[in-house]
Amino acid sequence: MKIKRISEGAEARIYSCNFLGFDSVIKRRIKKRYRLATIDEDIRVHRTKNEARILALVSSLGISSPGLLMVGKYDIYMHMINGTRLSEMLGSKTNLNRVFAQLGRYAAMLHNNNIVHGDYTPANVMVGKNGDVCLIDFGLSEMTNSMEERALDLLLMKRSVAGELFEGFLQGYRKECRDGGRVIERLGGIEKRGRYNTRSLITR
Amino acid sequence: MVPMAVIGIESSAHTLGIGIVQNGRIMANQRSMYKITDKGIIPSKVADFHADNVRDTLEGALKHAQITIKDIEAVGYTKGPGIGSCLQVGQLAAKALASRYRLPLLPVNHGVAHIEVVRSMYKLKDPLALYVSGGNSQILARIGNPYRHYHIYGETFDIGVGNMLDSFARSANMNPAWGSSVAKAALGGKYVQMPYTVKGMDFTFTGLLTNATEQLQRHSLKDVSFSLQETAFAMLCEATERALLLTGRREMVLCGGVAQSERLREMLALVAKDHKTTFKVAPNEFNADNGAMIAVVAEQMFRKGISVKASECTTNQKYRIDQAEVV
Repeated sequence: MKIKRISEGAEARIYSCNFLGFDSVIKRRIKKRYRLATIDEDIRVHRTKNEARILALVSSLGISSPGLLMVGKYDIYMHMINGTRLSEMLGSKTNLNRVFAQLGRYAAMLHNNNIVHGDYTPANVMVGKNGDVCLIDFGLSEMTNSMEERALDLLLMKRSVAGELFEGFLQGYRKECRDGGRVIERLGGIEKRGRYNTRSLITR
Repeated sequence: MVPMAVIGIESSAHTLGIGIVQNGRIMANQRSMYKITDKGIIPSKVADFHADNVRDTLEGALKHAQITIKDIEAVGYTKGPGIGSCLQVGQLAAKALASRYRLPLLPVNHGVAHIEVVRSMYKLKDPLALYVSGGNSQILARIGNPYRHYHIYGETFDIGVGNMLDSFARSANMNPAWGSSVAKAALGGKYVQMPYTVKGMDFTFTGLLTNATEQLQRHSLKDVSFSLQETAFAMLCEATERALLLTGRREMVLCGGVAQSERLREMLALVAKDHKTTFKVAPNEFNADNGAMIAVVAEQMFRKGISVKASECTTNQKYRIDQAEVV
């Protein structure tokens, strides 16, 4: 099987390949020599297993995400997702209200099922030609019912987008999420801790 | 003619520092340090200590730079963040100096100064910075036009890495000092598993601290210290690496009190090397709190012609780094 490196992230390399006739990607977690070998091994194995498990669960919930094909010790094979990263569309004139409302609903669906994404930012969302939204990179996801973790998902999104888009996001979230009110309350609580008031990618 | 100099007064925590800079060259970096006992920092006592020592430290700095007060053309001081009473002593001293000799007064953000001193020392352009100290652990880089400031890409969700290491040191009956006692205790230790929490470019330390303190009952101090340090620093490095890739910066700086850690330097240097990035750490006297870094920023502001109204020369305990415009 021919594989071709298409991108390199901080913790993994992404390759494209043809897997039994399907256009696929491989996410391979690479060794980091700065950290202790034991920690490195633990992290890579644990995160790979964890990501694969959550990816399978997420698809079964009806959330659009890369379909899982095969799992190795450090690598995950999944279907290729075509589209543009949402982070690259933020500056453009495209109307993103529908996308963000959908992202809010997806976040709620994850949280309703005790999943937190862990890195819920526009960089981890693919948008297809017809505007359909696909969540990628569950590398930092976790199964937990912690309110704090859920609120952190919202905080990460809030920090990286303009206010009105986040409003739409919250509306979608509130409608769908069982504990939405409490999570949003917690978000306010985290922000009140004083460190995050001014943190936004929007520059003055 | 001798070029004119700028003086900087730092007093945000237990260190009273007075530095002198001439055209970016650091001429003096004098310090008086309040001795931390097991009780930690008592704000009023530290403020008294600073007030008692500011005169001698200033004279020491002038003597070291071989200049007199007449050669000074501007005064910078730490506006914040820091301990209120300590900041006020520094601000008052700076105000007194400025009014007595009719010098312009320039308020400086403590965090900005930590990064800028390294940037100026190595003539870097636009580095990504990992700023790690007692109260702060942040990943930053300059953005914005025309309003330029340090944007926080990632940071701790609870306590700074330095305070985490020091709290652990206290609970293990060691002397707290930016993690140096933990580093010493960690020599030759073996790894025991600990929680590793990174959320994108952010991280949390309290869970790790609690876990490490508990593990002291089952494992030796050596092993726990080693594992704690390895885990905490690996978390910082992972988050920084992610920010490095996101921002695409080609230069990286490690600064703040915890930058004195040899192990953290070694690890972050490897991250930089893996991405062919220039990596710089200042000598230790500029990583710990110091007056020279305040002088460096004050001089930059002064040379740019920035003047600050007297009403804005205040102190602010919660002066966030991204609220400070940089030149």
